[in-house]
Amino acid sequence: MTQTLQKRTFTRRHALKVLGGAAGIAAIASPDTLLAAPGTSPFAVLRAQETVNLKWFMWSGSPAEVDAWKHLASMVTAKYPTIKIEFVTASWPDYWTKLPTEAAGGTLQDIISLQSLRTPGFADLFQPLTSFIDKDKFEVSAFDESIIGGLTYQDGLRALPYDFGPEVIFYNKDMFQKANLPFPKVDWTYDEFLDTAKKLTTGGKYGYGAWPYPDSWLPFALSDGATYLDSAGKLDLTNDSLVAAFSKYTELVHKLKYAPSIPSTKDTNYMQAQWMAGNVAMHVNGPWQMINFKSGVKFDFGIVPMPKGTKGSVTVSAGSGFGVSKTTKHADEVWKAVTVLTGPEAEQYLASAGRAFAARKDEQQYWYKNAVEGSQETLEAALKSVVPYKVTPQWQQVSTLLLQYGIPAMNGQTDPKDALTQVQAQAGG
Amino acid sequence: MDREDGRGFPLGQVISHGFLILVALLWLFPFVWMISTALKPNADVFAMPPRVIPTDIQWGNFKAAWNYAPFGRFMLNGLLVAGIGTFLVLLTSSCAAYAFARLDFPGRDNIFVAYLGTLMVPQEVIVVPMFILMKNLGWINSYQALILPWAFTAFGTFLLRQFFLTIPFELEDAALLDGASRFRILWNIMVPLATPALAVLGVFTFINYWNSFLWPLIIVNGQEHATVPLGLNIFMGQYGSQWNYLMAASTISILPSVLLVLATQRYLVEGIALTGLGGH
Amino acid sequence: MRRAAQSEAVATRGAASWRIRRRRPRSDTVAAYGFLAPNGIGFLVFTLIPIGASFVISLYHWPLVGEASFAGTQNYRALATSDPVFWQVLRNTFSYVFGYVPLNILLSLGIAVWLSSKIRGKNLFRVIFFLPVVTPMVANAMIWTLLYMPQSGVIDWFLVNVLHISGPNWLGSQTLAMPAMIVMSVWQGFGYNMLILSAGLQSIPVELYDAAAIDGASSWRRFLNVTLPLLTPFLFFAFVMTLITSFQVFTQPYVLTGGGPGVSTTTLVLYLYNNGFQFFKMGYASALAWILFVIIMTATAIQFVAQKRWVHYG
Repeated sequence: MTQTLQKRTFTRRHALKVLGGAAGIAAIASPDTLLAAPGTSPFAVLRAQETVNLKWFMWSGSPAEVDAWKHLASMVTAKYPTIKIEFVTASWPDYWTKLPTEAAGGTLQDIISLQSLRTPGFADLFQPLTSFIDKDKFEVSAFDESIIGGLTYQDGLRALPYDFGPEVIFYNKDMFQKANLPFPKVDWTYDEFLDTAKKLTTGGKYGYGAWPYPDSWLPFALSDGATYLDSAGKLDLTNDSLVAAFSKYTELVHKLKYAPSIPSTKDTNYMQAQWMAGNVAMHVNGPWQMINFKSGVKFDFGIVPMPKGTKGSVTVSAGSGFGVSKTTKHADEVWKAVTVLTGPEAEQYLASAGRAFAARKDEQQYWYKNAVEGSQETLEAALKSVVPYKVTPQWQQVSTLLLQYGIPAMNGQTDPKDALTQVQAQAGG
Repeated sequence: MDREDGRGFPLGQVISHGFLILVALLWLFPFVWMISTALKPNADVFAMPPRVIPTDIQWGNFKAAWNYAPFGRFMLNGLLVAGIGTFLVLLTSSCAAYAFARLDFPGRDNIFVAYLGTLMVPQEVIVVPMFILMKNLGWINSYQALILPWAFTAFGTFLLRQFFLTIPFELEDAALLDGASRFRILWNIMVPLATPALAVLGVFTFINYWNSFLWPLIIVNGQEHATVPLGLNIFMGQYGSQWNYLMAASTISILPSVLLVLATQRYLVEGIALTGLGGH
Repeated sequence: MRRAAQSEAVATRGAASWRIRRRRPRSDTVAAYGFLAPNGIGFLVFTLIPIGASFVISLYHWPLVGEASFAGTQNYRALATSDPVFWQVLRNTFSYVFGYVPLNILLSLGIAVWLSSKIRGKNLFRVIFFLPVVTPMVANAMIWTLLYMPQSGVIDWFLVNVLHISGPNWLGSQTLAMPAMIVMSVWQGFGYNMLILSAGLQSIPVELYDAAAIDGASSWRRFLNVTLPLLTPFLFFAFVMTLITSFQVFTQPYVLTGGGPGVSTTTLVLYLYNNGFQFFKMGYASALAWILFVIIMTATAIQFVAQKRWVHYG
């Protein structure tokens, strides 16, 4: 029953017939549509039957990911036949530029996506979900607590999470075997990491892929006890502990040369691509990439927690979810859609596809089942040592600037401290 | 500098041609490499030593690139934007140019000076207010936002006015005596005589619209209204690691430009000489 | 469109080729306004008012959403004094201009003159050199990103395996990224000037060469004394146009390097874009736009003054 159809048929004489039919269909299709309709006006019943077209804005980085999201959109329509979803996508960095533009232009999509590290910076664009949760008596406790915390800002949860996960090291098993090296153990140390990287660096290939995005190197710094925020939660990139840790990280490239030098680029996935191409043996990434690696690499690989530094193996975790945009005209439908997109079935699908380490605790098993061997042991170990990834509202800018200034520091052209000072000066405010 | 015929040693000629061919091949190499990469499986993109002719030719890459991003849509968008934009530029410019060239009206010279004064203003100076204007009109993500801001150019008006001024008055006088309207004169006398200028203006306006990047990047989000350069940028952002697909997409996106140059190559020099415009 | 507009302004001011015919046009006010209206209104709304608005906005703190607040000259002062990268960005822009413009002019002059001699298949060569001018810049820059890859790119492979020298990390080096961008830009852009100069060479009457040849001048002297002076109006046009557009460079750094490493390839327009449309500081971006405008106007004015000394209008 589409809008156009109604326009054509909605005359006084037909009204009753249409109404009768509509009510019948509504009752069969989903009993709660009728119950949810405010009042008893026949128009309310009719409206509940109109097709609602929702736009869903989400980042993506490969055809496999796009397919997974489109599949999820179809799951929503399968459950609520009157809700149709149009999937709109952008690359990871573009997504965060375009989201505010859409909001300012009054074209913000209905369902929008949020990553926990961007919560303080972008929460304003999302409606707090409290009232929806209360009304539906929605079970938030089915989700991992840390990611619920990560997506909460001031007056409430801003998005229902679909995934989360700690940063771990992905390694190319074929390269290890070729170099006659044992696979890294869950409790390996930084010295073992260095030694391994050294031995893997041969014949134009490198042991490790260093990358200046904070998610890639902060785990190393945290494992050495460094901090990047001061006690008041403000950005503090220039303290001695962090400068020392970042300097040590850059040395992997310019001094030890266990990691390749990097061209300047705005491709945030550059190093990931190098790893996928078999040019570097190890790199830091999250479990959400399993989907791309399983379909995109031609070698066996494994994952292992961050090597132990002076303060043990510490890592950060991040996760993402979907929320109701501030400006949507269909908040109730969006909420319904979001509950499906993050529902048990969707989570099972995403986890099995390797796109998401499920935020719903009961569905995490599906990720383990379909991931690579040893994943469960690694993730469980990593999750034990994970610290909350606290960020500032400018974290998006911090990440972009670290990518820009970190590259010459890694290539040995600028002092790592100067690079951090520049980022602090531009994004510390 | 040997312009006179028959002079110059054959050996010199051979060397001259040989060297020129070498330079031309060097110039073509990036395009050759693009096509070559577009035909390789992803694993071979960075294989050493590099091969210009792939061992394992994958025509499917073009299909994959075409499927992963709606290049057909990008091209249609580009065609629509550039087509309507060019039409508007030609139409409104020739009308205004006729007024400036042939008619007397209060404020004509002042208005014309205002037109002239803006010719040197770079686009970058007005992108911010233009964005705010589009935002307030609710035109972000729309075809009109891609087309209209650049469709009422002082430049086209100015160029055509200069051309109209070279057309003798006598033709027009005769028509006026016959009772022809101003519009008929413009349409039946001026426009046909100005065809070369209109053609060159049209071609370069079209190319500028087609290749424009900064403005679409600012005003369009997502794929729905993306033109070819923007679509390519989106594609790069999403599939940045798949160089074979990226190059296949690039090949697709440069094809219309290549065809246009080949089709108009006989008039390239004359066209440029006529108006001194175009280019990036 | 705007680039083309600038080109025409230069062409006409430079060559003074237009003059209003000394004949009083007919008075036909209603028709005149009718003809003018479509273009005039659009011009007012989409060009004239935005130019004024741009300056006004530059005097405000103007966020993407929310109220703008008056800032006076604060945006300009912040750029000059407290912005950690503005001066570096300005230096980058000038390095690009000083590298790109001379290389472009020399190469286009060289190839144009070469092609004006007895060469078979001139048009084919011209098409080849002109091709990158009309292919989308995004595609061009993407191709070069691939060529410039460290270790695995073709250029480095050639340097290491054929010339046996080390292959640098072109786009990852603060010293080499800008030259790499200039080289790519020359490859892309010189074909346009080559065609302008080719048109100029074709306009030189053959008789002048014949006369010079009879006088026994060598081909080098003929070039210096006959060709070059007659070509100066075209050279001037090409030079000023290239100068103006090179100050506006955006797509190359945007695609090739994203402005890095550090800020070593961030140009004025890229910085304007980042401020206006990434950080949404509209007032700040407008101030940058006006600085760009002033620089371009000054550079152009200098050229117009200087042209009297070297441009020869026959």
